[in-house]
Amino acid sequence: MAEEANLHSLQELEREEILQVLYRDQTVRNIEEERIRKLKIHLQHLRWKGAKRVSQEYKEKSCARCQRILGLLLNRGAVCQGCSHRVCSECRVFLRRTQAWKCTVCFEDRNVKIKTGEWFFEERAKKFPTEGKRETAGAKLLQSYQKLSKISVVPPTPPPLSESQCSGSPGRLQELGQFKGFNKSMENLFLSVATHMKKLSKSQNDMTSDKQLLATGPRQCTGQSERRSQSDTAINVTTRKVRAPDILKPLNQESPKCPTNPVLKQEDLSSSPPPNTLFSGGLRHGSLISINSTCTEMGNFDNANVTGEIEFAIRYCFKTHSLEICIKACKNLAYGEEKKKKCNPYVKIYLLPDKSSQGKRKTGVQRNTVDPTFQETLKYQVDPAQLVSRQLQVSVWHVGMLTRRVFLGEVIIPLATWDFEDSTMQSFCWYPLGAKAEKYEDGVPPNYGELAVRAKLVLPGGPRKLQEAQEGTGDQPSSNGQLCLVVLGAKNLRVRSDGTLNSFVKGCLTLPDQQKLRLKSPVLKKQACPQWKHSFVFKDVTPSQLRQASLELTVWDQAVFGVSDRLLGGARLSSKEDPAGGTDSCSQSKLQWQKVLSSPNLWTDMTLILH
Amino acid sequence: MASATDSRYGQKESSDQNFDYMFKILIIGNSSVGKTSFLFRYADDSFTPAFVSTVGIDFKVKTIYRNDKRIKLQIWDTAGQERYRTITTAYYRGAMGFILMYDITNEESFNAVQDWSTQIKTYSWDNAQVLLVGNKCDMEDERVVSSERGRQLADHLGFEFFEASAKDNINVKQTFERLVDVICEKMSESLDTADPAVTGTKQGPQLTDQQAPPHQDCAC
Repeated sequence: MAEEANLHSLQELEREEILQVLYRDQTVRNIEEERIRKLKIHLQHLRWKGAKRVSQEYKEKSCARCQRILGLLLNRGAVCQGCSHRVCSECRVFLRRTQAWKCTVCFEDRNVKIKTGEWFFEERAKKFPTEGKRETAGAKLLQSYQKLSKISVVPPTPPPLSESQCSGSPGRLQELGQFKGFNKSMENLFLSVATHMKKLSKSQNDMTSDKQLLATGPRQCTGQSERRSQSDTAINVTTRKVRAPDILKPLNQESPKCPTNPVLKQEDLSSSPPPNTLFSGGLRHGSLISINSTCTEMGNFDNANVTGEIEFAIRYCFKTHSLEICIKACKNLAYGEEKKKKCNPYVKIYLLPDKSSQGKRKTGVQRNTVDPTFQETLKYQVDPAQLVSRQLQVSVWHVGMLTRRVFLGEVIIPLATWDFEDSTMQSFCWYPLGAKAEKYEDGVPPNYGELAVRAKLVLPGGPRKLQEAQEGTGDQPSSNGQLCLVVLGAKNLRVRSDGTLNSFVKGCLTLPDQQKLRLKSPVLKKQACPQWKHSFVFKDVTPSQLRQASLELTVWDQAVFGVSDRLLGGARLSSKEDPAGGTDSCSQSKLQWQKVLSSPNLWTDMTLILH
Repeated sequence: MASATDSRYGQKESSDQNFDYMFKILIIGNSSVGKTSFLFRYADDSFTPAFVSTVGIDFKVKTIYRNDKRIKLQIWDTAGQERYRTITTAYYRGAMGFILMYDITNEESFNAVQDWSTQIKTYSWDNAQVLLVGNKCDMEDERVVSSERGRQLADHLGFEFFEASAKDNINVKQTFERLVDVICEKMSESLDTADPAVTGTKQGPQLTDQQAPPHQDCAC
């Protein structure tokens, strides 16, 4: 063999070896995830055991953990230092060699933090706040392979492939070969991935629609989302990261003699594919999360006649800021496939207005029943202040053959009026399922929050000069001014499931000659109601230009690794007639904008509705 | 090294959920200082004098019983070679503790310790626990880095220090156990500061119960 070929095969071997390690690591990780899941369920059960029930008189003094009635003299109970709940003597755990104790839940909480390694992630978050909790380098590397090879739909459990699919891989490679920047060595990489996939166990039965997946077209993504939803491990979307692909680059691009810069190359990130088509690993417990609900959110689903009810409970823990929705059961559901009398229901929830994939929680799928029992708790981390602006949307879906989803009904509960302190509100309740609510009523555009801005048109000579300018023909050099805009803050934005955002504002002033002036604010991290107080100054603009111009302000949520920022909403200021506009809010902002233009050198405060 | 030993993994490390918690440890240091040998000695109690350069990364899992707890260690062995640096540094963030290794017969590997330490500071969490290990202390005749210099550097960097030999099985187990202990200490610390109710009380996994192994350097 020629020397070059040898070198090449060596690199391939390297990839093989690393892949072997990554798969072994994946096995270890899966075990760990499973262990952690069990621990958390255990803690959950402990918590629920102590939750006050309706049947019980709240005023009666009882142990917060075991519900035992506490006496006035004997067994009076004592307040736990951790959670401030009164507990009986049985429900205390004494800490070793001390007189200090904690209630069973607080003790277990700490225990779980140790056992799950949560303490480490909390510590690490101090330095790397954007780092996904449990995502490991190995997971990321593996994902990068899977993403690139389009075997992205494979669930985190070792993904078995049938022979037919493996034999189909050359075709897959050919297709991939059309992607830009796809070089020879990458193909080798995929080949090696395919070989590895082949080696893995062969039990996955829901890979049958793989062929369909390879075909381009709208069904492709629905196929993916179904696959993901059915995997029994959830996918943590919030920790989506795309750094991994370039980590492996040195292996493909560089010869052993060429040293690699140890610094990770971030600038390569932009070349990554958009996140919606990516598989993101990292596991989350308690609920199923799929990357996107393309089929169910894009209206690509069937409707059944809605019947039946759903039973669930809503609780909120003010201490941990955790909103827990315990989905118990449904009864008398409509058949997802009426003719076949088939129904495989699952429940999906959102905290509206957040309909992003991060905000989605799902239960597992129950097979062949119209009276499913779920007994699953879906959780959100939400700030108490956030609750009032949210609506809990609980919908029931049938998983059909292949990609089809059938809508079985939904319930929407505005949390603004929900009294989370009232124990009667925490009990399980049956809610009748309703038909799908209209997206938004009667063409009124959705309100995605408000943006407060302050604007001023600065002209060199003050108001008098403006009048001259207005009286004149317009573009006189002397009338050149600047438009100052202070982006104060925004509220009621569509926050992430944890109630925060890493938000920033983009301003784009489009002048009559279609010239666009763009400015951007810094990113404010971890805030639901960001106060940027950032000023945009558009220089060298004339009032006459501005009268013909339009200013677009858009609010964005920065993606974890800057791959695809999420648009939270935008507002447009223009004195021209907006063909798409015409609603009240638009005309109001138009008036405000005109006020800015007509009163130079004076600040005008505006509140813009984001659409 | 991974592929050669593949069949050996699997059953033992999979399926076993019988542990209390899991720590991730990273072994770093220049190429050929003996990181892989060190890990093999600890995990498998084996030693091969032949040098096989690690490709990228590898790991071994070992469950130990320490202070009444079963602790599963996932010990990552990294390639010392520069060309794998992007891969190996990606693993820094997931590691709770580090074994930073040099070779006492190799001045260059000792001089690189400062750089490795900087890498840890850059890529890892703030409380990363690091043990500095001078390996190959069985090769006294070829020693170029004295114990004293090793200790001074460790003090300077705020790390604990061991001299060890994977070949003669000196201080290998002690190194890992000490690292586990310091991680446990950090863990208790982190939980207690986060939890004002119990500040001042030493509790949780009582890791201070047991005497920390004496800080010994290699006697040979």
